[in-house]
Parts: sequence; structure tokens; C-alpha cells
Amino acid sequence: MEKQLEKIIRRVQKPGRYSGGEWNTVCKDWQNTYVKMAFAFPDVYEVGMSHLGLQILYGIVNGREDALLERVFAPWPDMEQQMRNTGLPLFSLESRRPLRDFDIIGFTLQYELSFSNILNMLDLAGIPLRSADRTGGDYPLIVAGGPCAFNPEPMAEFIDVFAIGEGEELLNDLLDAYLASRRSSEVRQDLLIRLAGIDGIYVPALYRVEYNNLGKINIVTPVCEGVPAQVQKRLVADVDAAFFPTRMVVPAIEAVHDRAMLEVQRGCTRGCRFCQAGIIYRPVREKEPEILLRHAGELLGSTGWGEISLTSLSTSDYSRVIPLVGELIRRYGSLGVNVSLPSLRVDAFSVDLAKEVQKVRRSSLTFAPEAGTQRLRDVINKGVTEDNLMAAVDAAFSAGWHSIKLYFMIGLPTETDEDLHGIANLARKVLDRGRKLVRSKGRLKVTVSVSSFVPKSHTAFQWEPQNSIAELKRKQALLRELLRGRGLVFKWHDPEGSFLEAVLSRGDRRLAGAIEAAWRNGARFDGWSEFFDISKWLMAFTSTGIDPDWYAYHRYHYDDTLPWDHISTGVSKKFLMREHLCSLEGATTPDCRSGRCQGCGLCTSLEVKRYLAGGETVASLSNTVQ
Amino acid sequence: MPRYRIQYSKRGPASYISHLDLVRTLERAFRRAGLPIAYSEGFNPHPRFSFAAPLPVGVEGLAEVLDVEMQDSVNHQDLAERLNGALPPGLAVLEVTDVSDNTLAPMAEFNAAGYIVHLDEDDLPGPLPSRAVQDFLTEEQIEVTRKGKDGREKIRDIRPGILKLDVLSQVSGLTMQLELKTGSIMNVRPEDVVEAFFRHAGMVVDKADLQTIRTGLF
Repeated sequence: MEKQLEKIIRRVQKPGRYSGGEWNTVCKDWQNTYVKMAFAFPDVYEVGMSHLGLQILYGIVNGREDALLERVFAPWPDMEQQMRNTGLPLFSLESRRPLRDFDIIGFTLQYELSFSNILNMLDLAGIPLRSADRTGGDYPLIVAGGPCAFNPEPMAEFIDVFAIGEGEELLNDLLDAYLASRRSSEVRQDLLIRLAGIDGIYVPALYRVEYNNLGKINIVTPVCEGVPAQVQKRLVADVDAAFFPTRMVVPAIEAVHDRAMLEVQRGCTRGCRFCQAGIIYRPVREKEPEILLRHAGELLGSTGWGEISLTSLSTSDYSRVIPLVGELIRRYGSLGVNVSLPSLRVDAFSVDLAKEVQKVRRSSLTFAPEAGTQRLRDVINKGVTEDNLMAAVDAAFSAGWHSIKLYFMIGLPTETDEDLHGIANLARKVLDRGRKLVRSKGRLKVTVSVSSFVPKSHTAFQWEPQNSIAELKRKQALLRELLRGRGLVFKWHDPEGSFLEAVLSRGDRRLAGAIEAAWRNGARFDGWSEFFDISKWLMAFTSTGIDPDWYAYHRYHYDDTLPWDHISTGVSKKFLMREHLCSLEGATTPDCRSGRCQGCGLCTSLEVKRYLAGGETVASLSNTVQ
Repeated sequence: MPRYRIQYSKRGPASYISHLDLVRTLERAFRRAGLPIAYSEGFNPHPRFSFAAPLPVGVEGLAEVLDVEMQDSVNHQDLAERLNGALPPGLAVLEVTDVSDNTLAPMAEFNAAGYIVHLDEDDLPGPLPSRAVQDFLTEEQIEVTRKGKDGREKIRDIRPGILKLDVLSQVSGLTMQLELKTGSIMNVRPEDVVEAFFRHAGMVVDKADLQTIRTGLF
């Protein structure tokens, strides 16, 4: 295998994706470790190595004496070709062993458009795709977690066990149960039933889905005792005490985010109604600055990275962000370490922060107002006003930035052409401010980037249909017309990818055949525009008798059983309904940081409280800067 | 600021680290080792590294050369040990020496390199004709085509860049020894030479089958 690998690795682009041997990798004694697990990231190395969750779970499992965790990423198409030509099976980076030799393979479901890669990786590993076909042989247990596990149904036929929610404690419970099951020499079915008894574990094969004559789901029920009717997400109550990896693996070839990641908080309480992360990572839990500084020191020392990024869903909301940034710069700035802030709000406060950390105004600043009019921003509960945006861009232009990026979504519920005109108007106003404030007018640039709204499970918009591809294209064409002119740049995504995302994110178990057919038609790396080909998927839907339009475009009713209703985020469906009704009236809901409870039901159902390290709130405006 | 010349090897998994990634890798290793390197001035400071001709991806280097400028003086032994403790597998410091102010940069000083190239038996197109090496080296011109950066094919004569070519062994495959010009004035790639050598002998090899080691720089 080693010889074969050396031969093919010289024939592919970026062999460093497959060679392993990075700093801080852990290579454990294979023979003397009881449970062998592989962490499988269904995208290319450079993307997977930018993922904090991988580093956390790598540290946790390898920190146990009885377990090991090795990494594997989706091989790039050139590597897949070589592997298929030579019959080389998919292997882990650490020990270069075939995936088939592991006890457990854990996939992370970060985005729907990576589903075809999961099937491809199983196939390259020589593992049957369907859970039902793995009961006989001594195949690895296939586990999946991550945000897309909150609607696990489209992948239910392929995955044995879903881990719902945060993995720090859940993965340890899973490994313990796996070991106990093996000590008792249990068969696969007994192992699955045992695992289903763990909080946060969902074993899809142990549930029966019944449909009504309209083709909608009637009821989902467990097939045996000890299997919960509804699976509650797991979460870490005390983020300060939770494991944090300070010996992160340093990628050998440049990753998308090639820097130390310091997670300052988990969760976001702003309550944007389209945002799934805002629901599934609730409640907000901030870390204490002293703990963060200690982790930062260890992390920089063990990795040698020259940049540290303060990660979270909205870092300028972290109540101690100013003292933390100041102290990091004081301690590590002279050693040539930069601090970066990946997600900030739309306001002058955030620009000040960006100014603090970025001495040279090299890159552009990004703001995400998401919608072009106040009416629509109220509908989506994006608590940002035109004044906030203008204050932010004034501050940015005055501080020396000359390029601003604005992120918007099109196809949002209740959107009309007036809202699209609003996007163009905002962009022109920003450009006008720039003309007044930027010295080198020739370099002034305002980029408008629009993505298409995708209704996501567990959000206030989960019942909403997506705009048709034709309608999204019409809207993009209108914006392209409206955004002509010097200094303006318009960027958009192909709506076909967003359409597929909607089908998969609101889908149910009946999609399995179509997903498999799409993979057989050659679908790979669907999140990459150079590989994505909707026709492979449309053919797959046709050949399996699935109407994808129904999944993307039909409006669910409040009394419908949703395909993901048996998975709970802790946020009540009633709250989501109320939020949905409020959105249609344009009524906003305040951030729960302000002290006014939104009544989402989470703190009472999960017995976890939001925790703010600073005590006080900083500002009550939302949004992101990049 | 003090400059040091580091002789290092780059083998195994590290041979797949590209030159650009090697700069990042070394910068991080110096940081981990607590050895502060000097940076260039300007908006985008770069570590003050000065390399000899970069190794192609996949080629192992037994004795590569790097000059580094440090913020403070450091004992040679100390530098080697601390850096070795912070380098990923496959990278290792062999020797550290002083660099005086009038020493040429490695790129200018080293203009030739030695290589060992091996081809497995299965990858050999056939036995070499008996006088293959002599015949090849008596050619006054050896033309190879290579795609330039602009995508256009360029023909050039590599014969003046071939200083030495020998067959070391034909037991279990073929092992050759080459000495080629390298650096900024003339740079000849070993795979181009081996391919041309086989072509001259009427055979075709797949460049990707070559296992190449750079043994040293002169």
C-alpha cells in the first residue's frame, strides 16, 4: 500500500493533501488501542483543516488512552481517479490504513452540498453505502454529526448513528458505550439500541416513518423500547471547563483558514429568522477572558501560527472583546502575531475593533445588512438600520479602507422588487460616502454579493418555500442592471446550487435513492462551482421518482409533521411559529442579551443558561463584518 | 543582524511540501522553537530567509541550504537542537554555520546540484542499449520542450546544463546519478534530463515514475 501510494501521490496536484506528517499529529499504537476512529471530512483537505470541530474532537479522542482518532478528507477528483485506477482504498493520513480497518468512521455534516462526497468516500473505502447492507460484515460503525445532522433524514439510510448537538461530551459517551458493547460481544443491532439510549444519539433505523395520502409525513415512531420519541440535542453547559484543543494540527499545505482559532463564545442570540446556527447553538455561552488568554498562549506556543482568529458566530457581541483583543495584541503583537476577527457586526464599534487589529488596511471590510429595506430587515429580524450601516462605512472609509463588501440575500419571504431596489440604493449611498471620504477615488470599490435564501430546518422560516430558480435569476438580472456603474461590483451565486440545498435541507428519508443516483451519475464536490452540475441531480430525481420542486417550493403548514420534528434543538416549535407570524407582520424580537427573554423555551428545557462573561451588554445592533 | 547558514534535509512526507508552504512551515517552526527571526520592512513583512534553488514537490533533498537572519545571535548547536525539536517529520537541521557579510546568497553561490534518480523495474521501458550514456553525452545539443509561464511551449537546449550523467546500477530497476546546473543562471530539471536520455535511446518513460533525490548543492 505504501509503495502504491507513493506512486500515485506523485501524479496528483498538491500531494501534501494526502501525505500526512503535519506538526502536532498524533500517531498512536494501533495494536494496543481499543477503539479506532476516523474523522472523515467530506471536502478537500484545505477546507477540512480549517474546521475547529475537527481539532476539538481530534484532541478529545486522542486524549483518551483507549481510543485513537485519525483524519481523512475527500480526495480531489484527480486523486479519486488514481485511486480507482489502481484500486487503492481510501486511507487515513496518520497511519495510512484503509478506512475499512477502523471501528468507527465519523463524518461531519457541515453543508448539504457535501452529501455526495460522503457516499463517494464510503465507496472508495469499500464500505457498502446503505446502513442496511452493513449489518452482516464487520464494517465500521458510520456516525455523522454537525449542523446538517439537525435534519438527518435525507442521509438516514446511509448513516448508522447521528450525533445531535455539540460533540465534546457526546463523543466520549459514544466511545464508552461502544467499548461496553464490545466487551459484552453484542451484535450490531444490540449496539445500535444501546447507542440510541444515549442523550443526543439518533439511530434512524430504529424509527418508522409513516406518510399520509398527501405524501407528507404522518408520524415518526421508535420501533422498540428504550429509543426516545424525540432526540434532544447535546450541549456543553460550562464552556470554560470544556476541552479546548491547544495542540492543533498545523496543516502542511496552506488551508483556507490557516491560523490559530480561539473560540470566544458559543451561540448567538440575535435571532435572525433565517439563521439555523442561531437556533442550534443556543444559548450563548461566553468564555472567561483569563481562560481564553491561557489557551491563546498555549495554542500559539504549540503551533507557531502567526495569526490568531477570535471565532464565534458574532465576535463583536462577545462582551469582553475589547479587553481581550487589547491584551492579545499587548502580549503577542511584538512577536509578529496578528489578531483577526472573522465575524463582526455592522456598526462603528466593530470598525473600531477592526482598526485595532489591522494596522494596514489591506483587505476590504465586509458588512452583511442581508436585506435592502428596513421593512425586509424587520421581517428577518436583522436588527440593523441604514444609520448603523452608514456609521460603519463612514468609520471604515475614514480609517483608510477603500473597498467595502456588502452581503445580501435574495428570495427572502415577502420580498418584492422594491427590496431589490433597496439593495441598489444602499450600495449607491455607500459609494457616495466613499467618494466624500476616500482620498484615492480610483481605488474606491463597493462590492454587492448576493446569495439566495434557503429555508432551513429549525428556523422561523422552515415552513417557507424557496423562490423558483427562474425567479431568482430574474432578481439577479434586475440587480445586475441596477448595479451598473463605476466603483460598483455585483457578485452572485448560481441559484441551482441553492435549489439543491433547499431540497436536501428540507428533505426526508425518501431522498436516499436520489442522493445515491446523483452520486452514481458522477456528482462530487457539489459545493464547488467547477464541479457542480445540476443535471446529474435532476436526472437522479427523475430516475427515482422524486419531485425536487415539491421539497424546495411547497409551503409546510403549522400542523404538518416536519421531517425533523423528532430532533429537538431545545427551542420550542411554538416559539418558531410565533417568530414566523411576527415576521409576516414585520414585528421584531429583541436580542436575549438585552435581558428580555424571547421565550424560545431553551433555557428551561435544557437546564442551561446563557452566560455573559462581561455581565453587561455592549451594543444592541446586529451584523457581521469579515 | 546575525545570519546563519542552515544545511537541512527534506525527506519523506516533507518532500511533498511545496516551496511556498516550506517558507510557512519553517517560519512556524522557528516560532515554536522560540528563535526570533528577522523580518523584512514594509506593509507585509516576510521572514528573512534566503534559499538555494527550490526543490520540486516530491523530490527529496539530503543537504539543502537556507540562510536565515535572526534578531539575536544564537549558538550554532543551540539553534540546531531547538529547531530540530520543532520541525515536522522529514525536515531536519544537519549543520549550522556563520555567514559573513560578503557571502553570496545561496541562490547565487550554488549553481549546480547532484541527483540520484531511480526507476523501478516495472516502470522501465526496456534494457538500456550498451553505449546509451556515451551516445547521449556526445550530443552537442539536447533539446527539450517545456510549457512556459505564459502557457506557450518553449524549446531549449539543456546540454550545457548537464555536467555529469552516470548509470550507478541496473539491478532491480535503474539508478542514475546526475550533476546539473541549477540556480538563477541556468536551471535544468533532472526529470527533463532523464526523459531526454530515454528518448535518445528510443524509449519513453513516465516522469511521474521517477524517484528523485537531490544529494547536494555545489
